[in-house]
Amino acid sequence: MSAALLAPLGLAALAALLPLLLIHLARRDIQRPIDFAALRWLTPRPKPHRRPRLDERALLAARLVLLTLLALALARPVVLDERGARTWLVVAPGVDPAAARAQAPNAARRLWLTPGFPELAGQTPGEGAPISSLLRELDAALPRGARLTVAVPAVLDGVDAERPRLSRAVDWRVLPGATPAPAPHAAPAIAPTLVIRSAPGFEAGARYLRAAAAAWSPSPSAAAPAVAPLSEPLPDTAKAIAWLAPGPLPAEVRDRLARGAVVLLPAEASIEGLGPATPLWRDAQGRLLVEGGSQGRGRWRRFTRPLASETMPELLQSDFPTRLVGLLADPPPKPARVQARDFHPLIGGRAGSPSAQDVTPLLALIVAALFALERWIATRRQRAPSP
Amino acid sequence: MPPSGPAPLLPPDVRHRLRGLKLRARRAAGAASGIHASRNRGAGLEFAQHRAYEPGDEPRMVDWKLYARSDRLFVREAERESPLTLWILLDASGSMGQADAARPDWTRLDAARALAAGLVEMALAGGDRFGWVALAGDQPHLLSPGAGGRHRDRLSLEMATVKAAGGFPPPPRWAPLWDRIGAHDLVVLLSDVFDPNSVDLAGRLAAAGREVMAIRLLTVEERDFPFQGGHRFRDPETGDELPGDGVLLRADFLRRFGEARARIGAELDARGVRHVEYVLDEPLDAPLRRLFGGKA
Repeated sequence: MSAALLAPLGLAALAALLPLLLIHLARRDIQRPIDFAALRWLTPRPKPHRRPRLDERALLAARLVLLTLLALALARPVVLDERGARTWLVVAPGVDPAAARAQAPNAARRLWLTPGFPELAGQTPGEGAPISSLLRELDAALPRGARLTVAVPAVLDGVDAERPRLSRAVDWRVLPGATPAPAPHAAPAIAPTLVIRSAPGFEAGARYLRAAAAAWSPSPSAAAPAVAPLSEPLPDTAKAIAWLAPGPLPAEVRDRLARGAVVLLPAEASIEGLGPATPLWRDAQGRLLVEGGSQGRGRWRRFTRPLASETMPELLQSDFPTRLVGLLADPPPKPARVQARDFHPLIGGRAGSPSAQDVTPLLALIVAALFALERWIATRRQRAPSP
Repeated sequence: MPPSGPAPLLPPDVRHRLRGLKLRARRAAGAASGIHASRNRGAGLEFAQHRAYEPGDEPRMVDWKLYARSDRLFVREAERESPLTLWILLDASGSMGQADAARPDWTRLDAARALAAGLVEMALAGGDRFGWVALAGDQPHLLSPGAGGRHRDRLSLEMATVKAAGGFPPPPRWAPLWDRIGAHDLVVLLSDVFDPNSVDLAGRLAAAGREVMAIRLLTVEERDFPFQGGHRFRDPETGDELPGDGVLLRADFLRRFGEARARIGAELDARGVRHVEYVLDEPLDAPLRRLFGGKA
């Protein structure tokens, strides 16, 4: 356990001790002379011995301690909690717990490398977890100097694209097994059902979108989506919405966007408040055709030109439906599987600071008690009149 | 009868301890009538009482005229007139106003007043006459000797008004003393006796046939010099100041002051003045006991 100051400049308040000492220095100059009739037998000394003398030591001590504690409180002291086991063993899901148990001495604490770090004694967690993130979290939470052993299966899933950088050396044990596969991703590139809402004047543009949506249908007999006015309520299941209206998005559409829908907007729509835009599609000349961004869990895409063949000849190209599907579809999952032996963490990450406990309330209590003591000393009856 | 004034000058316990003491003058003590004491009955001028004759009474003490009238033997007793007059010389110079820091309300002058009250009590008990002189300022204040409780009250009232100020009166101001203090009177000087004039006055009075005693009042600080650190010392009579560190001054002061005390004591001895020292933290009856107690 050690202590630290969050605001060391607060200690500058210790300068207040100096005036206090000056106040308590015996003011001999204004001292009353002492009547002494036997003065004639006093031998004058050429140089009176002057040694700084302090009045009322007890009061001074109380005040000094009080001021020091106040300055300390200004510096915001914290107590760092560095207790805990010296050796730790974490086991990634997919490893046989019995085999992993042998990897560390008995005194070690054994945890699952899953969110919340449950004890290894518990049952095997089913779900895979972000291994890299959990490693970093554990590294930051462990006390300084603790030894960490990580037992991982031969194939890790749910890792970052980079080897984790930790603050300590890690004993990296690769055991047989594989991270249980997470829930399977939705099959990619399934074309969504496009819901088109069009303001008056956008019907011409909506036709291109409707045609593209019709082209995604697996069978020609399937009905192409209808173009409806803005007042038509949006179906609950709508994953892709073409909202062809000028101006800002209404609250209803924003709500859908936040819940994970993809919203297709015309050039006239305002994207204010939707976050930064990224270019998504450029034509052969490199001019921007579609930009987009994400908001909440959803994404939005906006055409930068009016939806007409004169301004945007790409609408007539045969690959437009494919392009549109690419714009609307969910991004493919990031690669997250790795051979565990290639994923040994690096050293050099920033050490996490151990959990710090603010001691200012305790200090405030002590200061209050000391203040009461100081007042008591200062107002005692037997007190001398000075300072 | 308690003394008038805001506070009794003499604490009851001191008054009690003084009860056994009698004013005693060397010359009176040598007189034929024995120890000077109060209301000695015996041969004298003032008639006191008749009492029945007891075997062993001198025939010349028998009142024969009364025997003639009453046919019984009576002895005529007379009160002997006290030959003793007590003069209290109270030094009221500035130095008498000095007190100790530990007890600021107990100045040398307060102690001198209390000692004077004690002396007066002793004189009252002995039926002696007493007067006092305040030695301060231009003209010594003087109260003629008298006897009795009323005189004691008047004296304590006057004493209560005395303030310590100025210096010890120089010899030209002593003239009233010579006029009033008769030969063979008992004179008690209450003073610190630091001033050479005070030694001189006591010595001259003794040389002129007065019985002179001196109680030399010292403060505790003069005896112990307990000062720590720097102080400014001021002579209350001259106003001279001397800054100094208590610890450094101490040894030298105690040596020189001790020599001075011994020298003053020797001079008083040489001039026939009995003297005792009284330090302010001692019981009040101690100096009186040393002066008047014991077998002289």
